[in-house]
Amino acid sequence: MLNYIARRLLLMIPTLFGITFMVFMIIALSPGGLAAGLQLGPGATQTQGEGGAAVVEAYLEDRYGLNDPAPVQYLRWLSRISPIKFTKRDQESPDGQRLSAPRPINPPELVRADWLPIETVTLDAGSIEPTVELEGLGTDELAGLYKRVRSEYANARGQFIRASKLLEIRAVDYAEAVGIEAAIESETEVRVERLVRTPFDAGSAAAAELLVVGEDTARIFNAAARARANEMAVFDAHPLPRMGIGVDGLWLGAPDLGQSFTRSQDVLELIGDRLPVTMLLNVLAIPVIYCIAIPAGVLAATRRDTLIDTVIGAFFVALWALPRVGVGVLAIGYLADSNWMSQFGLPHLPTGGLHSDDANEMLFLPSSGEDGFRPGYLLDMAWHLALPVLCVAYSGFAVLSKQTRAAMLENFNADFVRTARAKGVAPGDVTLYHVFRNSLLPLITMFVTIFPAMFAGSIIIEEIFSIEGMGKLAIDAIRRRDREVLLGVTLITTIVNLLALLLADILYAIADPRVSYD
Amino acid sequence: MSADRNQPAASREAPVSVSGVMAMTGLHARASKPFWADAWDHVTSKLAARLALVWISIVVALAILAPVIASGHPLVLREFGPSGELLGVSSPLFDNLRPGELFGLVLGLLGLVFFVLPLPLSRQSRLAMIFAATLQGGLTILIASILELNALSRDPWGWLEAMRDPDALGLKLTAGFVFAGPFALLAIVVPIVNPLPRRIVVITLTALLAVVSIGHTWGEPDPVFDYRERERTGEIQAVYTLVPFSPFERQLDRDARNRSEGTSLDETLAKRVVTPLRPLVGPLPPDQLDRVPPELDRLPLDADQIDEFEAAYAEWRAQAESPTRADVQRALERIMGGSGARYWLGTDGQGQDVLAHLIHACRLSISIGLISTGIAVTIGIIIGSLMGYFGGLVDLLLYRLVEIVQGVPVLFLLIIAAGVLPKNVYVMMAIIGCFGWTGDARFIRAEFLKLRKMDFVQSAQAVGLPLRSILFKHMLPNGITPVLVNASFAIAAAILFESALSFLGLGPPDQASWGKLIASAIGEAGVFYHWLAVYPTLAIFLTVLSFVLLGEAFRDAIDPKRKKARV
Repeated sequence: MLNYIARRLLLMIPTLFGITFMVFMIIALSPGGLAAGLQLGPGATQTQGEGGAAVVEAYLEDRYGLNDPAPVQYLRWLSRISPIKFTKRDQESPDGQRLSAPRPINPPELVRADWLPIETVTLDAGSIEPTVELEGLGTDELAGLYKRVRSEYANARGQFIRASKLLEIRAVDYAEAVGIEAAIESETEVRVERLVRTPFDAGSAAAAELLVVGEDTARIFNAAARARANEMAVFDAHPLPRMGIGVDGLWLGAPDLGQSFTRSQDVLELIGDRLPVTMLLNVLAIPVIYCIAIPAGVLAATRRDTLIDTVIGAFFVALWALPRVGVGVLAIGYLADSNWMSQFGLPHLPTGGLHSDDANEMLFLPSSGEDGFRPGYLLDMAWHLALPVLCVAYSGFAVLSKQTRAAMLENFNADFVRTARAKGVAPGDVTLYHVFRNSLLPLITMFVTIFPAMFAGSIIIEEIFSIEGMGKLAIDAIRRRDREVLLGVTLITTIVNLLALLLADILYAIADPRVSYD
Repeated sequence: MSADRNQPAASREAPVSVSGVMAMTGLHARASKPFWADAWDHVTSKLAARLALVWISIVVALAILAPVIASGHPLVLREFGPSGELLGVSSPLFDNLRPGELFGLVLGLLGLVFFVLPLPLSRQSRLAMIFAATLQGGLTILIASILELNALSRDPWGWLEAMRDPDALGLKLTAGFVFAGPFALLAIVVPIVNPLPRRIVVITLTALLAVVSIGHTWGEPDPVFDYRERERTGEIQAVYTLVPFSPFERQLDRDARNRSEGTSLDETLAKRVVTPLRPLVGPLPPDQLDRVPPELDRLPLDADQIDEFEAAYAEWRAQAESPTRADVQRALERIMGGSGARYWLGTDGQGQDVLAHLIHACRLSISIGLISTGIAVTIGIIIGSLMGYFGGLVDLLLYRLVEIVQGVPVLFLLIIAAGVLPKNVYVMMAIIGCFGWTGDARFIRAEFLKLRKMDFVQSAQAVGLPLRSILFKHMLPNGITPVLVNASFAIAAAILFESALSFLGLGPPDQASWGKLIASAIGEAGVFYHWLAVYPTLAIFLTVLSFVLLGEAFRDAIDPKRKKARV
């Protein structure tokens, strides 16, 4: 058994790779690139000034590493989430942030191409010596220094990105002036490999300007490379406690799902807040489904081919065919509408959320004091969850009751049931102890088929009832093109899903001694 | 024929021995029906399945006929000159038909007639001919539409743009043949219709129809619905279709655009009354639509009425600081006197007709349901048959692919793909198809694992038949039954997926969709417009239920236990 579980867990790894790769590539297909979609996010206020939006886009692309080819980006993402890491060991800041070694910096393509006659640039950023003095510094001083050089490098890098984008815009002007139309990708993008085919022509005004900006960019690059060298030097002195175990270049550490593109929060933290909500919704729905569908299936099987059987079957199939979006909206429109519900003298259900506004001041359990009955935290939550759970659950009835009915019918014809009847066991006992008990086995695995469907269904339900769960997180992320959150949600959803499948198989083997995986 | 040559003439006239078949015929035993014919009879013997078929036929008919049932363009338009003389008669409805619509209409009607007429051709082969024509023409128009949609902006030779000129007939014909040609050639190879001469006739007719359809309206039209305005001034007389509105015919937008130049009575009214009132009123329910606010600005009002109107409006503004819907409605009713065309199921927030939206949405649901399932079944059959036939390493690797696609809930993948990729119908069909094939692949795999051990497959291998022939001629017909039955459920699921995606705002923006209508049912302030949710929910429910019932009937019909039970 353990052998089997281990094998299944190992097989899960390629599946996880495949799924995240597939989702990554779908997102990478996004027309116009991700950074274009992120414009509305944090950088929206900086679109003034020369280059405007293009500079912000370049800055965002650099910040999230979006300018590399998609497979490279995927590998980088993998190396971050992998528990075995091949980088320098990360360090943990006092407020719990993960700080990695400074990212490498490369001179702008135009300068690197050895085409602009610029002398001042040091092309090999690694050969720049740090200028910080580390001798005799205490731990606290070192941490302070690290904080300073870190922000220095961030600033210098930002300036460098801006400068190289401006340089690129100048290069577009130059290409236009000289007449190399093929090198112009758009107003702010240039195809360097086309541009450098013809030697630099210093004749025009655009060329002179390009040269000036080029020199400027080279200087800014040098400053940024120095800032990086400084940060690297301080980082290597371990100013902060190091994370994980192992040595630089091979160490074990917690998976890092990265930071949300659009909210300044760790993806893991975001998911940690949301996953319990979604799980609660789904885990509450399972007993609802089982408690309604199994008795209905048993009833249908014992009254086979009667009116009851037909009615139960038709009713549950009709429930399956009801679209979730419509049911959710209608439920909010009618059952959560005070005017409509008061016609029948009923209180209306809440339209959304998980708690009332004053939930934090409630007692946990219901109580009745002098000011009447108070629902308390638990009951308030149940009250809020009633509609969403029903909307998640209702379409699962059909599958489970049909399965129950089929399993019961199969066992009704079994030899041991005939024997039991022959020796005079009461018909009710035959149904309950002989048929039903044996029919239960396949039902255990049923949540394998129900669970993923419910998980997907809860995406819609969360959106309709504005419940802050995984589904709503995913939908918000897709609307904002927040790749890190999407990948994180995909990974966690997949893991939960695959673990549920594995759990069902294990339960099946435990419940039925005839089943063995060895 | 070869039998004729070998047999002596005498034995043909008088059989020397009586065969078993003859004996059975003599005993009044009827020949057993073919497998699928028998299954079909069993399906149609059930009331639920018959009702399901009726509803599906209605939805399909509405999908094909939508442009001639619900359109804001008049069916017949008679234009009059300034002194009342007839200038000409035209049909804006026909002029504004899109290629797909025109093709669907003509093929649908001709196909129905062809299918019903008593011809010396079996129904089955006639159905195959209609199916082949739909497939070929549909693909041709699909490619043309995609080009029209995406390539017009970067058109290297300029001829796509030049085709927009209504007089460029030769160019349109040439381009039409460029689109239709490759598919016509491809269709010659695909043996759906046999024999070859008949196939060539079908292909030629289809290609011609496709060419005419594509040439008929090329380029995204910018429909202007100014007919009612012109009708009021007496310029034109129009005969409308059953539902005289298009789904995206926005009354107010259009009026505002038409009135942007010059000031008139109408403009005063629209600016001062209709525009501020509109957001307060929101969508209008069917029972209050005898008086339609958009009609307001078309009333022939004189100066006194205007004064009265403005006084009433001012009074209303003064007394209702925070007006309720009922206040607004009452005020409007008091101010207004006229009544316009009837909106049977009400309007939505932009004054668009709900019934027209519902009818046009049939197209999206049915086409996405059928085409995405077609894609899924094709992928599933190819991958499943490779897995089942080869087994071993191929099976192991491809099964990982199945597991990968299965590992995440499909809706989750669909939301990501639909959110990131361009939002149009074809992408939606493609992604629903591309994530839905795993079930089919597993069915086919299981069947093929069984079949490849069987004698007839082994002997086919032994005589050295090519792989294509073994896989698709010998094994597939024996293993495809569960996939075909599952297709009915897959269509139902695809329709549900489409409604969910459209509900989330990830669907094509310029298409009527039931899910989109449901999404607009809850207004900004949390007001619930029940008629925007009830009718589309009902439509989705009935369509999905029909496909599920049909699928269950088919599953029962091909269940081998049924046969045993009867004996």
